[in-house]
Amino acid sequence: MRFESWYDKNYKKLLIIPAAVLALSLIYLTIFYIQTGDIINKDVSLTGGTTITIQTDISPQQLNDIISQNLTDFEVKAISDNAGNQLQLIITVGEENTETLETILENFLGYKLTSENSSKETTSASLSTDFYKQLVIAVLLAFFWMAAVVFLIFSKGKKAKFWTIVLNIALGFFMGNFFLKTNPVISAIIFIAFAAVLIRIYIKNSVPAFAVMLSAFADIIMTLALVNFLGIKLSTAGIVAFLMLIGYSVDTDILLTTRLLKKHESTNTALFGAFKTGTTMTITSIIAITTALIVVFPFASVLNQIFTILLMGLGFDLFNTWITNASIIKWHVEKQ
Amino acid sequence: MKITFRIWILIIAILLSLISIFSIPPTFFEKGVVVSSIEQNSTIFQDGLRKDMIIQSINGQTINTIDDYSQSLSSLNNMDINETQKLTINTKNLEIINLYTKKIINDISVEEIPITRIKTGLDLRGGARAFIKADVPLNDAQLNDLISISEERLNVYGLSDVKFFKVKKSSGENLMGIEIAGSSPEDLEKLITEQGHFEAKIGNETVFVGGDEDITHVGRTGQDSLITDCFEVEGGEACNFRFTIFLSEDAAQRHADITDNLTINGSYLSKKLDFFIDGKPTSSLNIGVSLKGTVTTQISISGSGSGTTRNEAIEAAKAEMKKLQTILITGSLPFKLEIEKLDKISPNLGEQFTRQLLMAGLFAIIAVSLVVFVRYRKIKISIALVSVSLSEVLIILGVASLVGWNLDLPSIAGIIAAIGTGIDSQLIILDEARDKFASMIQRIKNALFIIVTAFTTTFVAMIPLTGFLGFMGIGAASAGLLKGFAVTTLIGITTGVLISRPAFADIAKQLEA
Repeated sequence: MRFESWYDKNYKKLLIIPAAVLALSLIYLTIFYIQTGDIINKDVSLTGGTTITIQTDISPQQLNDIISQNLTDFEVKAISDNAGNQLQLIITVGEENTETLETILENFLGYKLTSENSSKETTSASLSTDFYKQLVIAVLLAFFWMAAVVFLIFSKGKKAKFWTIVLNIALGFFMGNFFLKTNPVISAIIFIAFAAVLIRIYIKNSVPAFAVMLSAFADIIMTLALVNFLGIKLSTAGIVAFLMLIGYSVDTDILLTTRLLKKHESTNTALFGAFKTGTTMTITSIIAITTALIVVFPFASVLNQIFTILLMGLGFDLFNTWITNASIIKWHVEKQ
Repeated sequence: MKITFRIWILIIAILLSLISIFSIPPTFFEKGVVVSSIEQNSTIFQDGLRKDMIIQSINGQTINTIDDYSQSLSSLNNMDINETQKLTINTKNLEIINLYTKKIINDISVEEIPITRIKTGLDLRGGARAFIKADVPLNDAQLNDLISISEERLNVYGLSDVKFFKVKKSSGENLMGIEIAGSSPEDLEKLITEQGHFEAKIGNETVFVGGDEDITHVGRTGQDSLITDCFEVEGGEACNFRFTIFLSEDAAQRHADITDNLTINGSYLSKKLDFFIDGKPTSSLNIGVSLKGTVTTQISISGSGSGTTRNEAIEAAKAEMKKLQTILITGSLPFKLEIEKLDKISPNLGEQFTRQLLMAGLFAIIAVSLVVFVRYRKIKISIALVSVSLSEVLIILGVASLVGWNLDLPSIAGIIAAIGTGIDSQLIILDEARDKFASMIQRIKNALFIIVTAFTTTFVAMIPLTGFLGFMGIGAASAGLLKGFAVTTLIGITTGVLISRPAFADIAKQLEA
């Protein structure tokens, strides 16, 4: 009971914490953008380039020394099994250095690289840029459409719903045909205009729906800031992880919103009940993903990045659902 | 427990999925090895052996494993290149008896009969994938032309397990996508992108070009196509090859007209017959005096390959010969091509990784059931939740093998995503079912409302990745690589919301009642 009265007194003030973290994340991302010209660190699957994987027990350091005699911009990474035995080395270089790297490796290893004894992946810069653009569009659109669905389900009023659908379909066409293709300034302005109009509709017609979106948005921004801060280079799979994150984070928010809007007990009872279910959901996911990550980690596959990002995101989701979203919706329900 | 209608649907879905995964009768009762690829210009191919056939015995010896298979052909290894041996090969429905040279060992590749019908993607099974761009923007019709010529070329070359697809960049540019399963030829890059414009010239005059207009037949067996001799060169060995081609009458007449005007220089004519591929000279032939002005339809083409050892040199010469023959048969590609993306993935790590993935899945399930047990303190609930989740995995795999979907790493990530949201939904059902204030029907209704809402949001979030929104200009190229993620997630959450969630709601109702 002591907690409950404390919570009732302070829940609005609690909002300051996520607001501050979100603001810091946004500032960090802005600085990051100014410094690097992009909001993420891209790995070879998004910038273009070549990775060659060889099966060898030569130490990464040794190979590093050999390659550095001829090339400057490259990366060597080791893959091992769960017992810690090295299985493979992965070497990444720019697309233009593919042949040089192959020659260096063949000379050093003393055999020809074939599709049996090695893997090689080359992607041109122009194609990677295109993938990146399309993925960014997919993530943005996924977010907007998720928000629209939440709004359509929780709001009342046919007119607002109608315009939400029309605007979101128009947004789809705009993203597919103009965004990132035409003048960046103009398309950015149009994009922001779309976002502004939609957010206005959402806030005006359904605060709970807006709270769900805000919480998902905060999850993504905070996770992105942490990913950048840790210096993780994102791959196509990493971007997919953000899509998964949208799905997971919205689950608990919807649970919370439904319980509070359809409650037949006190706000706090409903809120604490939702908290119990929601944290079980998130913690189950966190434990399952951590276990899986430990098992697949040595293979350094795309799953590592997906799992790592999901873990960070789920952590932030606990924070955003039960502080950001919970406080807003409690505020909203008690005002009515 | 009472098995309700909804639980029956789940049980039937599981059974159908098992059938879809293991097929009827299950393949694990079958004995033999399955032909994974076969050289199309080989005697054994002409004798009727095809890809996917199951070899059950050779010379009366039963074949159960790959080892049995190699063992039964091991006696051929010690034979000379042209020596033959009688083989009786029995497949499920066919008996082949013929004389074969040791070449048969390389003509056929076999693998163990797969236990399931689940197909894995390139990143797990190994193979090559390429995205190819032309020097001019291609419209759909041109892209189809390009695909059909490339298809023929790879077929003639002897690659059978090849898939072609279209890829659209966000700029609207069309690319050709190629996927080749298993190991791929070393010079795949050249084979795909070489325009392959073959020209035979005397001086500045063209005698004939590659393709079926000028060349009626390209010899590829026996005395019409062989490695002639090998010799030491600086830094290793080199081998010469030679094969015969047959010209059309028009081309033969051109040859006669042009040579008629040449002067005699010793035992040869004054000019040579020069061969060019894509404008680059490759080799030249002296023309014997006797050919001056005569209409000859048979021409011998030669070349060489080199390597550090004799065997490498023979392989290099064979590969070069095969490439040249391919170009001569299929003619030139209509466009200059450029590789935008080329992935060659070695098959070696895939199996180990798949095993690791299964382990990860198993541990994750144990972890989940422990958490659920700690939370609800009822072993029945833990078991129900985990078995419904496992049944979802089965249903996803069943649907995937039914539609022939190749499970690559993104698809597996999709399965994980679907199962994760599935468990979330089941927890919601469990907790709603415990709600003391509402009737049971109302409680389940509340739970399903949350679940359907969550399903709808995930559903629309996945749509941009599937490529269904091509008409909006969205997701066409990235779809090629990440479609698997969206597809398995969609299969999972859809079957979840339609089949396993209602069934679990009925189970939970009974457990909580």
